[in-house]
Amino acid sequence: MKPEFTDAELHQIRTGIQEKYAKVAAQGAGCCFKYPSGREGMVQQGYAMDIVNDLPEDILADFCGVGNPFSLGPLFPGEVVLDIGCGAGVDSFIAACMVGPSGRVVGIDVTPAMLQRARAHQARLGWSQVSFQEAEAEALPFPSAEFDAIISNGVFNLTIHKSKALNEAHRVLKPGGRLMLADMVLVAALPPDRQDQIANWYQ
Amino acid sequence: MLLQVGFHRAALRRYTGFKSSPYTEGALFYGEKAVNTQIRDAIVAQAGSLTPPTEPQTESFCEPGGA
Repeated sequence: MKPEFTDAELHQIRTGIQEKYAKVAAQGAGCCFKYPSGREGMVQQGYAMDIVNDLPEDILADFCGVGNPFSLGPLFPGEVVLDIGCGAGVDSFIAACMVGPSGRVVGIDVTPAMLQRARAHQARLGWSQVSFQEAEAEALPFPSAEFDAIISNGVFNLTIHKSKALNEAHRVLKPGGRLMLADMVLVAALPPDRQDQIANWYQ
Repeated sequence: MLLQVGFHRAALRRYTGFKSSPYTEGALFYGEKAVNTQIRDAIVAQAGSLTPPTEPQTESFCEPGGA
């Protein structure tokens, strides 16, 4: 993947990602991923079923994570958690169950259509400890040392400036705070005809 | 990259088995923002050495509007 992009290429990447996730918001996670999504994906990734079963099926259907960040360690009641790239908010709601009403979960995403779904789910659940806002991983709109933990699921691979995003994650974590990421990584070399294709970012 | 930005105990912990293509697979990464040793040891002890939670959260946490 090329380390530097022209403005036109950056626009194409951002537009492609936004269009893909607007389609996910409109059609559901089942439309667009080659791995299991929805409840099936959560079961396969070992999510705590007592929490999963507390959520309505139409919310679970929006799960399109690539792993289970909660398998990396617990969240504790009262903690403050940031979900980077929250999508429709499924992991944010799981986190909200773990931190309880004395805790707080903030989900951020760059796709307005996904945030609209997340807010609709939140309004339906009525969980006051969860909120959602539009923001980019590379420029987190939070003060330093704000969060006890950061979760993210399938998002940093879509982030153009990964080092900047990780620096921001480090900044907003409290000392001792935990970063728990699930993400896609390359496990084999791309064939020559697919290398350096901008479309790799969003297909 | 996690180590470069200052995370401690940073590692790719395991692969998830979810593949979006023949060339890509899900993976789980972990890192901590350092504190002084005494505080960090207390956090690690509280977290149970970073193993998955064995005690499922009770349903009361998940009731609308909070328990």
